[in-house]
Formats: sequence, C-alpha cells, structure tokens
Amino acid sequence: MSDAPSNTLVPVTVLTGYLGAGKTTLLNHILTANHGRKYAVVINEFGELGVDNDLVVDADEEVFEMNNGCICCTVRGDLIRILGALMKRRQKLDGIIVETTGLADPAPVAQTFFVDDAVREKCRLDAVVTVVDALNLPARLSDSAEARTQVAFADVVILNKCDLVDEAGLAALEERIRSINRPVRIHRAIRGDVSLADVLDQGGFDLQRALEIAPDFLEDESHSHDEDVSSLSFEVREPLDPRKFQAWIGQVLQEQGGNILRSKGILSYAGEPRRFAFQAVHMMADGDFVAPWKDGEARTSRIVFIGRDLNRPRLRRGFEGCRA
Amino acid sequence: MSGAAAAAGSPALAEHDHLLRTRGVEHALDGFVSGCAFSRDGRTVCFATAEGRIALAASDGGAWREIEAHDGSILSLAPDAGPSGFVSGGDDTVLNRIDAEGGVAPIAKGRRWIEHVASFPGKPGSGAGGLIASAAGKQVELRDAAGTLVKTLEHPSTVSGLCFDAKGKRIAVSHYGGASLWFTASKSDTPRRLEWKGSHIGVVLHPEGEALVTAMQENELHGWRLSDGHNMRMSGYPSKCQSMAFSRNGRWLATGGAEAIVLWPFFGGGPMGKAPTELAGVPDAVAVRVAFHPQHDIVAAGFSDGTVLMSDVGTKRVLPVCGAGRGAVSALSFDASGTRLAFGTESGAVAVVDLSAKS
Repeated sequence: MSDAPSNTLVPVTVLTGYLGAGKTTLLNHILTANHGRKYAVVINEFGELGVDNDLVVDADEEVFEMNNGCICCTVRGDLIRILGALMKRRQKLDGIIVETTGLADPAPVAQTFFVDDAVREKCRLDAVVTVVDALNLPARLSDSAEARTQVAFADVVILNKCDLVDEAGLAALEERIRSINRPVRIHRAIRGDVSLADVLDQGGFDLQRALEIAPDFLEDESHSHDEDVSSLSFEVREPLDPRKFQAWIGQVLQEQGGNILRSKGILSYAGEPRRFAFQAVHMMADGDFVAPWKDGEARTSRIVFIGRDLNRPRLRRGFEGCRA
Repeated sequence: MSGAAAAAGSPALAEHDHLLRTRGVEHALDGFVSGCAFSRDGRTVCFATAEGRIALAASDGGAWREIEAHDGSILSLAPDAGPSGFVSGGDDTVLNRIDAEGGVAPIAKGRRWIEHVASFPGKPGSGAGGLIASAAGKQVELRDAAGTLVKTLEHPSTVSGLCFDAKGKRIAVSHYGGASLWFTASKSDTPRRLEWKGSHIGVVLHPEGEALVTAMQENELHGWRLSDGHNMRMSGYPSKCQSMAFSRNGRWLATGGAEAIVLWPFFGGGPMGKAPTELAGVPDAVAVRVAFHPQHDIVAAGFSDGTVLMSDVGTKRVLPVCGAGRGAVSALSFDASGTRLAFGTESGAVAVVDLSAKS
C-alpha cells in the first residue's frame, strides 16, 4: 500500500470502448476543451487524434504475464515505462488518459496499477471509462465477449450516439448495462459531448453512494438478461473483523479471481472510525482507509462483485461471516 | 524519504558529507536528473534533466553552463563515440549530439521516444570504428561515429535496455521474453535470441563476454551463460533492480534493488548456487544506482534517500561521499580513469567529486 496520500497521486483514466463507439471523438473533445488543465494521453495509433498535443504518447499495447503465481495477472509493461518517464517531469500533470484498442481487455491496464511499486508511488487508477455506441451496443453485447467485459470493467459508461436511439431504447439499454454492472455510472452523450467532470478525476466520487444506488436489487433476479457477466452486491449492517475479511476476500479472489472481473467495497471495521475502501481487479486487490463515517450515519458495509459464474449464496454467506 | 532539514541539522549526517565538501563541487539544476556521463577524454562532465536541459562543466567542476537540448524530457545520455561530447535521446523523438562547448546538433528524429543510447569508442589501429546505438520503440538504430545509420535492429517488443560489449563486437538488447545479442559488424539480420518468459527491464554484458544479465519486473535478475546458454536466476530482491554494473575483470556484478549493494560472484562456478555478498547498506533506503570503478574493485552506489558512498569489495570498507537529503539518486558515473565520480538526484542536485590521490 502506498504511503503517499492519494490526493497527491496523479489520476489515470483508462478509456476503453469497441471500435467505432466514439473513443477518439471523446478524446478530441477532452483535449480541446478549455479546462486549463494538463493531461498526457497514451494512445496506440498516431494520426487519429485531431489535436496537436506535445503530451500525446504513442505506445504499443505490450501485455506480459507476471511470474508471480497469479495465473490471470497480465500487465502492460509499456505503461510502466511511460508513466515512469512522465512522472519525472517537474510540471505535474493533472491527469493521464490511457486509451486502449477496441478489442482490448481492460484487465492488464488496470492490473498495472496494482503490480508496479514505482507506478503505485506516483499514480492511481482513477476510473475505467467505457465508451459504447447506443445504436450498436445490443448487437455488440450479444456477439462480443470483449464488449461485455469492457462494460463489466467500467466505473463509468459513456452511452454515446444517443441521438440515434429513442428514449425507450435508451432506458432499456441502461437497464441492460446495469444488469451486467450494477454500480456503474452512466452518462448519455452525442458525439462524445460529455462533461469532463463525468469522465476525469472520478476518484472524488463516492463509491459508497454508487454502492447504495439500489440496495434492494440485492436479491432481485428480474434484471437478468441472461448475460454471462453480472454483478452481485451484499451488505452487512454490523461491523466487520478486518482479519476475517482479509482472509475471506483473499481466498475468494485466489479461487475465483479469474471469473471476478472487478470487486469493490466500502467497509466498516469494528472500532475504526474511518471507512475502508477496497477494490480489486481479478486477483489483484488494494485497499485503504478513507474519510471517517459521519455522525449518525448507518455504518453499513457494502461490497459488489462483477463477473461470471458468481455464486450468490456462497458469496453472501462468506461476506456475512466476516462480522466481528 | 527522510527530509533535508533533518540531514542538515544532524552532525552525524553532516560528517557523511565530508568528501563532497572537501573534494567535490555541487550545483543545483531545475528538474529531475535523468542521466550523467563523462566525455571519453575525461575533460567534460554532462548532466541531463527531465526538463530537456543539459548542464556541462569541466570535469573539475568549473565552468558550468546549461543549454536547452530537447523539447521535452531527456530520457537517455551517453558519452559520444568520439573523445569529447555526448549523445542524448529525448521524448521529443530526437537523438542529439552535444559537443563539449554546448553545441547541439540533431543526429536523427524518429516517431518514438528515444529511451536508450550507448556508444563504443572504436579501437584505434584495429579497424573497429566508433559506434552509436539508440533505441526507439522496438528498434535499435546502429550508427557509425559520424552518425550515419549503419543498420536497424528489430525486436519483438519495445527495447528496455542496451549495451555494447567491451570490444564493440556485440550489442545486447533487453525486451519482453528475454534478450537479443547482435554482432555489430555482421551482415546477417538474425541475432542470438536468449529467451526467458517475462518483462526484462535492463541489460548488462560481462566484460569478457561470459554472461548476459537482465533485470526483471519481478524483482529479480536473469542471466545466460553465453558459452552454452545455461540459465541463471538471481532472486531475493525486495524491490526492482534499476541498476547493474560488472567489475572491470568481470568477477563481480554489483546491483541495486536492496538496502545494501548486492554483489554476485561470477567466478568459482557462481553465481549459480552462490549467495551474493552484501556491502554497505543504508537502513530504510534502497540502492538505486551502482557504478563499478573502472580499474579497482570499488563500487559506488546512490540510494533512494540521497546517500552516495563507495565500498571496497575486498575489505568491505565504506567511504561515504555524501549523506541523505539531496533527493533520491537518479544518475551516477565514474570517469574512464576512475579519478572522478559524478552523480545527480531526482531533486536536481548534481555534483562531481575528485577521487585522485593528492600529490
């Protein structure tokens, strides 16, 4: 765990999305917007971007497997090098945006932020933002495992090209997205015209609120569209024992980390005034104490798993077994 | 990192600065020092920063001057193949030649960051000319001393390190999945590929060509005995090894990546089955840069807390150069005769220390 306070770490936004969904348009929008902030952008192909920016870095998506006994642990080595070099500059960047190619699995990018100490000392994974095309998303979700994985991985989904679909269609799409990834934040857009506050620096966004969005869907199966990826969330009102939780989550991720794309939670530990924020990408987990619980606030621990073949009763019993 | 104020206020630590104060010249640059080197004639010392600037001084630490050399960060610096001057690569995708007077002349401009440069001075009378190698993306470009492109070496993934052997006959390149060893004069386009799964992040060659060693992402080293391709694993590091150097005779490989300088024996069957020797540790810091003295079995090391010291391999005696407090050491180099040591830090502190015997 990094010693540096998280607010001094440079936030990194990972931008994913299927080919043609509008990632480049969105990037151009971000880079040309008059925000007075300095971003570096790591892309895979020069030439597509219409902006002249001296901090556009051309990279190859070079993924390698860590020899750390973690079977699904793949990492982007090029990012380790590039982030390391960018962090040497005196002028502090307000953020870094990493674009991935259309078919890319977001896991290696996200895992890079857990694996490399030098990266963790200077940067933090702020959010995975997935751009989807409202018109073609239903077809993509049906025919492409990559598209489902990208939606499942997202902290934020930009539902682009909303002018091509009617309101009922958009509402159905949003429901379908949530059936895969319940706590995701969805923003509608036309030609990538989102507010930057909806995309960048999402770290300030309250994970607890995201997990509270629909606590009552917990046992509700009606949202299922028979997607192979879905999300489960659980809550416990009593304080947790940190050691029990660490032991349980460690075992869950070790055994099922291949199927669990992401997991995140806000936890109330017994005798601890601060909230504990936990997140994991496959088997790689990280956690830190964040702001204290407010006076009079219900100290409910919540956790969500997004993945394939999740066993709801077993996970719930396990989480409930972490009570102090 | 321990604070500068604490270091300045502590008599014990101030004592560690004795060598720097009595035999060194300090200077402050604005920016992260990304490299330092002495020219091959030993007359000029050069520091590069992540702000694109080059600082030059006479090697006795006089006549400092700074120049704007790159539009962006300088990622790599090496002495030029010739007796004076330097070559530098930047994230502006330019390979520059810097002369001793501070003149900057571009040698090449590409599409990718120039992350690594190395040079070989040539052997007068042997017909072997000087060479300059630079890495951009998956390619290494090999040039003659004049800067004319001789050939381009292709690799399966981005190059993470390169070095010449002592005779300039071969060049070693690290990348994903292992390393490639090329003959510089060969007409053939195929290198010897040394394979080992994983991300290799730096490379050194044994001075007699007996072994090639890479640093790996997983806090360990991997080596190949070049006579038969036998694999060697050197592990146990608490952090990533960012710096490696062989002793002149090739008996020892010094590395960073731990609280102490780690020395692997390359004799008596080692390093396989041998424990490394540890020299001169700094508690709660990590050795981040190491350099072997060009003649003697003396290692210099720079640490993450700013400490710089030298240690004698035989006697294990430690000679402090300076104590903590100037920022993590990010560049360290001896001159060719071993009479001077230069270093720079992440905070922009740079220094040259005179090590010659006082007459």
